Amino acid sequence: MEYFATELLTLLFAALRSATPVLAVVLGEAMTQRSGVINLGVEGQMLLGAMTGFAVASVTGDPWLGVMAACFAGIALSMVHAILVLGCGANQIASGVAVLILGGGLSAYYGTPFVGDKIDTLGNLNHTFVSDIPLLGQFLGPITPTVLITLLAIPAISIFLFRTRTGLRWRSTGESQDITRNLGHNPVHYQLAAIAFGGLMSGFAGAALAVDYTANWVEGMTAGRGLVAVGLVIVARWNPWYALPAALLFGASEALNLKLQSWGVNISPYLLATLPYMIPLSVLMLSYRGLRASGGGMPAGLSVVFQSAR
Amino acid sequence: MKKVIRTLLATSILAISVQAAAETKVGFIYVGPKSDYGYNYAQDQGRLYMEEHMDDVETLYFENIPENADVQRVMERMVRSGVEVVFPTSYGYLDHALKVAEKYPDVHFAHSGGLKTSDNLMTYFAEIDQAMYLAGVAAGLTTGTNQLGFIAAHPIPQVLRNINAFTRGAQSVNPEVTTSVIWTSSWSDPTREAEAAEALISGGADVLTGHVDSPINYVQVAERRGVYSVGYHADASQFAPKGWLVGAIWNWGPMMIDIVNSAKDGSWKSEHLRGDLLTEAAKLSDFGSAVSEEDQQTVLDRQKAIMNEEFRVWAGPVFGQDGTVIVEEGDTMTLEETEKMDFLVQGVQGRLK
Repeated sequence: MEYFATELLTLLFAALRSATPVLAVVLGEAMTQRSGVINLGVEGQMLLGAMTGFAVASVTGDPWLGVMAACFAGIALSMVHAILVLGCGANQIASGVAVLILGGGLSAYYGTPFVGDKIDTLGNLNHTFVSDIPLLGQFLGPITPTVLITLLAIPAISIFLFRTRTGLRWRSTGESQDITRNLGHNPVHYQLAAIAFGGLMSGFAGAALAVDYTANWVEGMTAGRGLVAVGLVIVARWNPWYALPAALLFGASEALNLKLQSWGVNISPYLLATLPYMIPLSVLMLSYRGLRASGGGMPAGLSVVFQSAR
Repeated sequence: MKKVIRTLLATSILAISVQAAAETKVGFIYVGPKSDYGYNYAQDQGRLYMEEHMDDVETLYFENIPENADVQRVMERMVRSGVEVVFPTSYGYLDHALKVAEKYPDVHFAHSGGLKTSDNLMTYFAEIDQAMYLAGVAAGLTTGTNQLGFIAAHPIPQVLRNINAFTRGAQSVNPEVTTSVIWTSSWSDPTREAEAAEALISGGADVLTGHVDSPINYVQVAERRGVYSVGYHADASQFAPKGWLVGAIWNWGPMMIDIVNSAKDGSWKSEHLRGDLLTEAAKLSDFGSAVSEEDQQTVLDRQKAIMNEEFRVWAGPVFGQDGTVIVEEGDTMTLEETEKMDFLVQGVQGRLK
């Protein structure tokens, strides 16, 4: 029984670890889409954040400076999307893909000299009071700061979005720009802020990967997790609270794939490798039965993006 | 004055062209970034070694070239720009390289790891599984839980050779040892590699190794969790000052120089050139402080036996996962058989497909 509980908790915390970078991106992208803008470039922003964060941590020796630099790098690259979409009226899908490729290329080029560097990590909760808690201590101890920050971002974003006046206008911009305009506000300001916030969160997610989790920089290290996050926004129905189970779903299937292999379960590794994509997809399909008419909480302004892309 | 300048210009142009004529252009093609701190990094270190140790050679390279018709275009471009020796370094380049080689019979091609040749295409590789076997000996002597962990990318022969050699090495000094394999389905996915390392450690493994692009990820997790690690491709000892045992690493430089020289002086042979521990194309890294003097000596004695061919890694009996005999006692697998390996040995936990 205790063995079973231990294994289950190991799996749960492994899921949380794997889910954290994805969760940060889901939160940021959900906020961006709440203003009526979709940004497919988050993967590129993650990569640039990861590279910048790792490089700054390596040069300065301070991983926290690295995390901050990663956030700024994410914002900076997201501004390319903002200029193309808000400034030039470019197609959002095309602009997002351009940002994705740009981020991959820039990070690969500028990251090369830092490959194989060794950096200090952000540390964890070991040797604090939580690691003395019986049974749970061994699992809570290895938790790192980026996990906590990302978890704390959920209530913060939720309060902002649903309990403040600015949050209300932010949401109304996503439903219909005319409402915001009629209230005497410029919707572009909100969309600019929304794109920048998405940039900040994806840059942070990059740092969570490169500075905190692996303490390593490798070209293309996000391996598609940014794009998965864009998909998980739909599973989370653009709601910061639902983002947690959506990201955990991905994290858990990722952890389960590896855990089942280490247990020696007799299932083909090729089949197991599809778990992180199969499980969220199935949940999406099941949970959207009956939601089709309402669009599952999709901001109405977003549908314009897809219509104009036709 | 004008005349002086003209003469100076003329002589300098002449000097440049003379120099250019004497230089051999050598081209390298990598499937991934040369900065991956793994397979491509090791190949590129060979290129840099060549630049440093040969005066009359000029090298150029292309990174991130996929294993499809793109690589043919890259090779054609190289040849047209005057490249005389081409190193297509990825396994999947072989058939494309054969096509281009047929078209340009005066250009020499040296493919890494393939098993086909033509008049002007040879292959080179190194039996790094010998070094993995020795690393396995060190792991078998060190482990306390008798469980080793192996993080593997894809089930191709080169990877299977390393898993099996590592396990056989460990079993040779500690028959109780088993190796758990986790497939990551990617040559480079740092997050998944780190998580796989966590899963193996919480499952009881206390020595980790792997065959993915870069050893850094699992080596760092092992160090953080206080277990031992064995590196692959490149030396990662600086990432694990406490838990580093030893690593199996490449050293392509000298072999590549031999190949280019043979193309220049006409002694080129269309063959499968294979390096080993003796030629040092594949070798053991330095030991970490976690390996005792006595255990280091055991490993080095075994290395000596491999070098003077008293001992062969693939000498029978070799048992498959389910205990069936794959190589009879008295037989030894041939080079061709090992390079087409498609099984896991007894004591390895994990599925092939």
